[in-house]
Parts: sequence; C-alpha cells; structure tokens
Amino acid sequence: MNTAAFTLLAVFLGAYVVLDGYDLGVGAMHLLLPRSDDERATSLATIGPFWNGNEVWIIAAGGVLFALFPQAYAAAFSGFYLPLTIGLWLLMGRGMALELRGHFANDLWHDFWDVTFAACSTMLALVFGVALGNVVRGVPLDSNGYFTGTFASLLNWYAILVGLFALGALALHGLTFAAWRSAVLATDHAQRLLQYLWIAVLALFAATTWATLRVHPPTIGPILWMAPAAALCALFTVRFARNRALRFAASSVFLAALMIAAAATIYPYVLPSYPVGSGGLTIYDASAGVHGLFAGTVVFAIGFCIVAVYGTLSARSMLRKSDSLDGPSTGAG
Amino acid sequence: MNGAILSDRIQFALTVMFHYLFPIGTMGLAPFIAWYTVSGTRARDANALASAEFLGKIFALNFAVGVVSGIPLEFQFGTNWAAFSVKAGSVVGQPLALEGIYAFFFESVFLGVFLYGRRRVSARFYAFSAIALWLGSWLSGFFIVATNAWMQHPVGYHFAANGRIEIASLRTVLLSPFAFWQYAHVITGALLAGAFVVAGIGSYYLLGRRNEIFGQRFVRVGVIVGFAASLIAIFPTGDRNANEVTRNQPVKFAAMEGIFKTQRGAPEAIIGMPDTQHGRLIDPVYVPDLLSYLAYGNFRASVKGLDSYPADLHPPVELTYYAYHVMVGLGTLFALLAGIATYLLLRRKLYAARWMLWILMLAMPFPYIANEAGWIASEVGRQPWIVYGLLRTSASASPTVVAGETVFTTIGFAGVYFVLGVLFLLLVLREISLGPVERTA
Repeated sequence: MNTAAFTLLAVFLGAYVVLDGYDLGVGAMHLLLPRSDDERATSLATIGPFWNGNEVWIIAAGGVLFALFPQAYAAAFSGFYLPLTIGLWLLMGRGMALELRGHFANDLWHDFWDVTFAACSTMLALVFGVALGNVVRGVPLDSNGYFTGTFASLLNWYAILVGLFALGALALHGLTFAAWRSAVLATDHAQRLLQYLWIAVLALFAATTWATLRVHPPTIGPILWMAPAAALCALFTVRFARNRALRFAASSVFLAALMIAAAATIYPYVLPSYPVGSGGLTIYDASAGVHGLFAGTVVFAIGFCIVAVYGTLSARSMLRKSDSLDGPSTGAG
Repeated sequence: MNGAILSDRIQFALTVMFHYLFPIGTMGLAPFIAWYTVSGTRARDANALASAEFLGKIFALNFAVGVVSGIPLEFQFGTNWAAFSVKAGSVVGQPLALEGIYAFFFESVFLGVFLYGRRRVSARFYAFSAIALWLGSWLSGFFIVATNAWMQHPVGYHFAANGRIEIASLRTVLLSPFAFWQYAHVITGALLAGAFVVAGIGSYYLLGRRNEIFGQRFVRVGVIVGFAASLIAIFPTGDRNANEVTRNQPVKFAAMEGIFKTQRGAPEAIIGMPDTQHGRLIDPVYVPDLLSYLAYGNFRASVKGLDSYPADLHPPVELTYYAYHVMVGLGTLFALLAGIATYLLLRRKLYAARWMLWILMLAMPFPYIANEAGWIASEVGRQPWIVYGLLRTSASASPTVVAGETVFTTIGFAGVYFVLGVLFLLLVLREISLGPVERTA
C-alpha cells in the first residue's frame, strides 16, 4: 500500500512536470523564440486555455503529498522555506502575467508582462530543478525528521546542476510545444534554437546522470537503467522525428522517464537524509496511517482517472480548431 | 512557544483573508453565469449570453487572483505550520487533496472551455461548461469548508501510537453535520455577495442611464436572489450553524455573544463593548431572554458564560465578539434592504427609484465585509486551539523556521498582495465600465 501511495504521488508530480512543463518552457523561451509583439500574443494564446489546468497538478500533487505523507510534506516544505515562498511569488507573478497581458492593447503594458512572464518562468524552472536535486541528493534531517541545514546548503553543486538541467529540458519541451501548436513559430529561427538547446540538454543529461551516480550510489533495479535509457531514446526522437506532434510526445516521454528515474532513485525514501545512507523519511514512517493511506490512494487514483478522461476530452475539443487563434474573450489577445 | 508564532498567525490571517475575497466572487457569480448561459442558449437570447460573457470576465479575474493567492495557503501548512501538518496532516490533507483532484481540475478545465471555447465547441458543450464551472466552484468550497469544519469539530479520527492524529473514516470527516451547516452558511454568504454585486452593477448602469437592458436584468435577478439568500443566511443556515457552535464550542459561543457570566434567561446583546477586565459589556442594548431562546429554544434556559471556563481556554473576546456582531448586524440589514427592493420590484417601481439604486450600488462591498467577519468570528473564536480540543495553535508552527524568516515573507506577501489588489480593482472596474456588449439577435 505504501508503495502504491508513493507511485501515485510520483504520477501526480510527473503529470505536473510534463503538463505545466511545456507552459513553463514556453515562458522560459518567451523572449527568445517569438520576436514580435504579435508572435508573443500568438505564443501565449497557444497555452492560454491550458496553463491553469496544468498548474492545478502541482496543487493536487501537494495535496496528495500532504494527505499521504504528512511528515515528509512538513519536513520538506518547512525545510525549503525561503525557496518555496519565493517560488510561490514567482508562480503568482507568472499567473498574473498570463492573465493580464491581454487586457490592454498597449506595448508598454505588453513589454512589462512579457518580461515578467519570461523571468518568472525561467526562475521557476530553476527553483523546481534545485528542489528536485536536493530531494534526490537528500537533505540534512534531525532525529525528529526536521530539516537542519540552511538556505545556502540547498545551493550545492549537484542541485544547481539539476536546476540547469531542468531549465534546459523544460525550455526544450516548451519549444517543441510551441513549434507544434503554432505555425507562426515553426520557423528556421525555431529550428536553430531547437538544435542548440538540444545539444545543451544532451550534455546536461549526461552530466546529471554521471553526477547522480556519484551522489547516490546505484541501487540495483531494472527501472534504474530502463528509465534513463527510455529518456535517451525519447531525446533522440525529439531531435530527429519529422512529425511535430511526435516530437512533443517524445519530449513528454523524456520528462516522464526522468521523473520515474528520480522516483526510483530515492525509493523507499520519500525524503532521504543527507549524506546518503544516514536514513531519512521512508514511505513507512512518513505515512498517514492505515486508513488514510488506503482511502487516500484509492480515492485519489479514481480522481486521477476521471481527470485524465475529461481533461483529455476537453483538450481535444479545444485543440480541434487550433489555428484560428482567437484569444480569450477576456482580452485583446 | 516558538518565537515565530505571531508572524505565522499574522501571515496566515493576511493571506487567507485576502484570498477569500476572490472565492466569494467565483462562488457567488458562478450560478448567475450558469443561469444566463443556459437560459440564453435555450431561448436563443443573445443578450442573456452577453450577460453571461460579461459576468464571465469578472469571474475569470476573480478566479485568476483566487488561484494565485490560494496556492500559498496550501503550501503554508507545510512551510509555516509543519508541526500541525505532522500531527494532523493525515486528516487535514485528505479533503485538501480531494479539493485539488475532484473540484479544482473540474473548475479550471471548464473555465478554459468557457473563456476560449465559444467558437471552438458546440453550443451544448459551451452551456455545459458554464454549469460545470458552477459545480466545480461550489464543490471546491465544500472540501475547503470540510477541512475547516474538522478543525472546528474533529470527528472520524484516532490517535496513533506515535501521538499523531490519524484519519479513521473519511466519510465521517466529510459528512459531519458541523461541516454541512457551516458549508451551507458559507455558500449562502457567497451567493448573497454575488447577488449584491450583480444588483450593484445593474444599479450603476441604470443610474448612469447606460446599458439599461442589462441594468434592468442585473438588478432584477440580483435583488430576487439576494433577498432569498439573505433569508437563508439567517434561517436555517445561520441558526443551525450557531446551534452547532453552541453544542460543540460553548466558549466560542459565549465570546461571540459577549456572555461573561453563566445565567438563566440570557439576554441577546444587540450592541455593547466588551470589557474583559471587569467581565461585562459597556453600554449594552439587550433583548432580555432572547439568547436563551435562540440557543436552546427556551427563554429560561441556562447559557454558560466565559466564567465557566478557565481563562487559558478563552479566545480573544473583543475580536470574536465584534466580528460576530458585524456579521449578524449586516446580515439583518441585507435582508431588510433586499426585502424593500423586492417589494419595489414587484410594484414595478424599482428601476425608477434612484434612491434605492444608489443604496444597492453602495451596498456592494458590505456582503464581503460580512463574509470576512464571519470567518474572523469562526477562526479567532476557535483559539487557543488549531484543532479544537486536540492541538493548540501555540504548538503547531514549524520548529525549524524562525521569526526572521516569517516576518520577511509576511512583508513580501503584503507587498505582492497590495499590487495584486490594485491590479484586480483596476481591471474589474474597467470591465464594468466597458460593460456587456449589446447584441441584436
């Protein structure tokens, strides 16, 4: 049961990374890829109907962590106090930029929100990567399971490497999405950006894999080599496939495989302690108790299936007429 | 006691009170949007659809600010209240996660369809998305109130060997009568606020002699729904809610009513200032015996006063008392005001009664104040407990987070929310001044 709960949590987080990942990536590339005011409006219109639903995944994932592994939730969130709070402000700035940019047809207003959107998205990708890096590496915990390090200790070389990798991978993800959803953005310029970015991501992937083996002595298990291998295949598909939709799908698989690898690395810990081998919060001692874990896992898994069904259906109905880029009725677009 | 507790509490009060302004807007406006969309689709009434679209824009602004200001709340349980999360997370996490998975997805997916899908999806699916928006926002509210209701009146739990509170029955937690009546009252309050906003915007148009077709529609619907909601807010929801509090949180009840001494035939204080040093109300105006009747259905029933409980179990009396009286006082005025407006509407005099339209327009913010005041009475009155009778607020903050950090983030939140609030007002006022787009069908 504890393993099922852990898997469910990983699925929610993975869904968040894949889905909100592309709109974060579109944000990180917002000043580089679309170059005119019109192109930026087009770029935002491609994610307009979806980003909010995508962002709900982190709220749901946070809720699942809270309900199923309250102690890990408490230790991680209070331990990452400042970075998380700053991450929240970035999420707020980004949401505001997305919702408010279209309300005035004025270049001054557009410039302000374009920069806000790009800056917040870029920093968020970094913050999430650094946080994930620290979870994989483990954080210093006391005997009650509370964090004992400092903010500076979270900025270790491994976490920063993962942060850069996350930024690169999400930017690539966003780029494949933008190139797929909007003909305006599928230019030679986009192709060149994609090539450079792809090389950077490949290099960061190699570096991160090597570094992970250093900080986290390998545990034997089939998932631990299958997931990175799948990620590598997906990454090559992103570069060489002709079909743009297939590229985006491959990029999604790439991110999902990385998340599976990360989850498999820390299992059976929810929050390992640093240095590795000094214990941490396992899926057993951080859990919500027998009924909580059972009821939660079952009810959340059912909910996940329901969301997956109507989310896909409504996304399909909305995507049908993708190229008529009518903005939201809230704004000039 | 953790030194950061004061700024932790200020931060939570600030963020939750700011956030709650926006769910009032979404939960309050959603039924009107659904009504206009469905009736407009059925009757091919272009102006009804235009009304829905116009209110949808205001809804979307409320939703956007509600989302960005709501995410911090879920995270704050972990960042600022880690000890509470460890102790009670097994229970509290459940309805919060259910809110995200079952309600919030629903609401945001269909908001995307409603805002962007007018020309992309069929008319039927479009109308359905408006209903889904209503369902999603009200369901969302239910899970959040159920979480709070458990903290007010914990049920369906047991203590684990390690001293943590673990959930024993999810059904009991979600279906407790306390949660039901609290939710009914909260949702009525939001509906009342939404109705007053709709009527207020309509009055604004009529007073300015512009968009008069919409002005009349908005005033009519807003006044009728507002009158019904103001009555339901008093009875049964307010009354039953107060009964639950009387039964399960008698100290809070005494503080809300300003009853210092246990007495038979307790009077209802209409006004008066609590003097906690001498245990009395200053300059009170009483209705004799009424409180005993309201609480127990018997004019001679004994009501327990604050003197029946040790001082360290008293909530902050002044704030609880004033917040409660502001809510009840305003609620009574709303019923009166909406009643008179409904009478004028039935006599077909309302649209020309400029004095009444002025009052309706200026009344717009007050249901918000009443809603917030109700929550202050409920939350401050729960002190010193975070989970009533089980866990004290003072033992709930994050042990590893110091005051220097929470003061910093509180200042940061205040700054961010100030900017958010200004932007929100700017954009909402702009939408109202642009107004709905009239269509000739």
